[in-house]
Amino acid sequence: MNLDDFDRFRRLVNDSGVIFYYTGYLSHNIIGAIGDALRSKLEAEDIKGPTARRIFSTFIEMMQNILNYAENPAIEGDKAILQMGTVAIGNAGERFFVVCGNSMGEEHVSRLRGKLEHIRTLSLEEIKQEYKRRLREEPEPDSKGAGLGFLTVARDASEPIEFDFHADARNQDIQHFFLKATI
Amino acid sequence: MIPDLYLAPERDKPEVDFKFSRHHLSLKGETYPENAAQFYGPILAALRVYLNDTRGAHITVDMDLIYFNSSSTKILLSLFEMLDQAARDNQVQLNWHYDPEDETVQEFGADLAEDYTALVYNPVAK
Repeated sequence: MNLDDFDRFRRLVNDSGVIFYYTGYLSHNIIGAIGDALRSKLEAEDIKGPTARRIFSTFIEMMQNILNYAENPAIEGDKAILQMGTVAIGNAGERFFVVCGNSMGEEHVSRLRGKLEHIRTLSLEEIKQEYKRRLREEPEPDSKGAGLGFLTVARDASEPIEFDFHADARNQDIQHFFLKATI
Repeated sequence: MIPDLYLAPERDKPEVDFKFSRHHLSLKGETYPENAAQFYGPILAALRVYLNDTRGAHITVDMDLIYFNSSSTKILLSLFEMLDQAARDNQVQLNWHYDPEDETVQEFGADLAEDYTALVYNPVAK
């Protein structure tokens, strides 16, 4: 990247209202460290109380979701194999957004799309009810977390969550998944 | 009698202060560990041993959690289930500490009170 490109990138980030951005390898320790940096940034921006908690919660659920569903999850005790992920947090007027991105195999797209489209149809009250119901159920067989990540994100959001899949320019079997929550 | 259990808080783990000898159990801080089942497994096991041996006690539980992620929430529910069972033979008071501005934490406590009716639910605004 030459310096002009880097400046364009920096300006795009600024103009989009981004106050925090990370892209790179993720591990639990990296998530924790980014989380600390995010909190300092929120404090510096005077974002407190439930808003700060919602932003932090959304960030943690999104990042842990990427780790849990990583194509090549870190082998236990071996931190060398890490998953790539992207996250941006910013403000748009009075509200905040948290966006994350990661890549996955084409075969996961339809199941994930179904899950997220379903959540998008729910009202906040329905999200809370489904959250409560799922919390008291056994997790789905394909779930490595509590299976509550997306519902937690949706519950803390003030608008329906948004998502998209973009095909990789070079490898058609790879899809880039993006998820956005507005808080 | 099972020995008391104390775990110092970490960035992603709460302070665990289970004074079984005084029938006082406290969880304080934040909880979003990498593997919630692994972290809470031994804690719940110790609690189970304590509760199995305890009758007619006045047990006080202080829950002062600022942030809990979804997998911790799932496991905390099994903890409340155990306490609710134990409340048949003991008096179990749940002090649920919450930030009055934070509806989610407040509602979660209220839901617990609704589901685990044997617990004496005491919401405490911070």
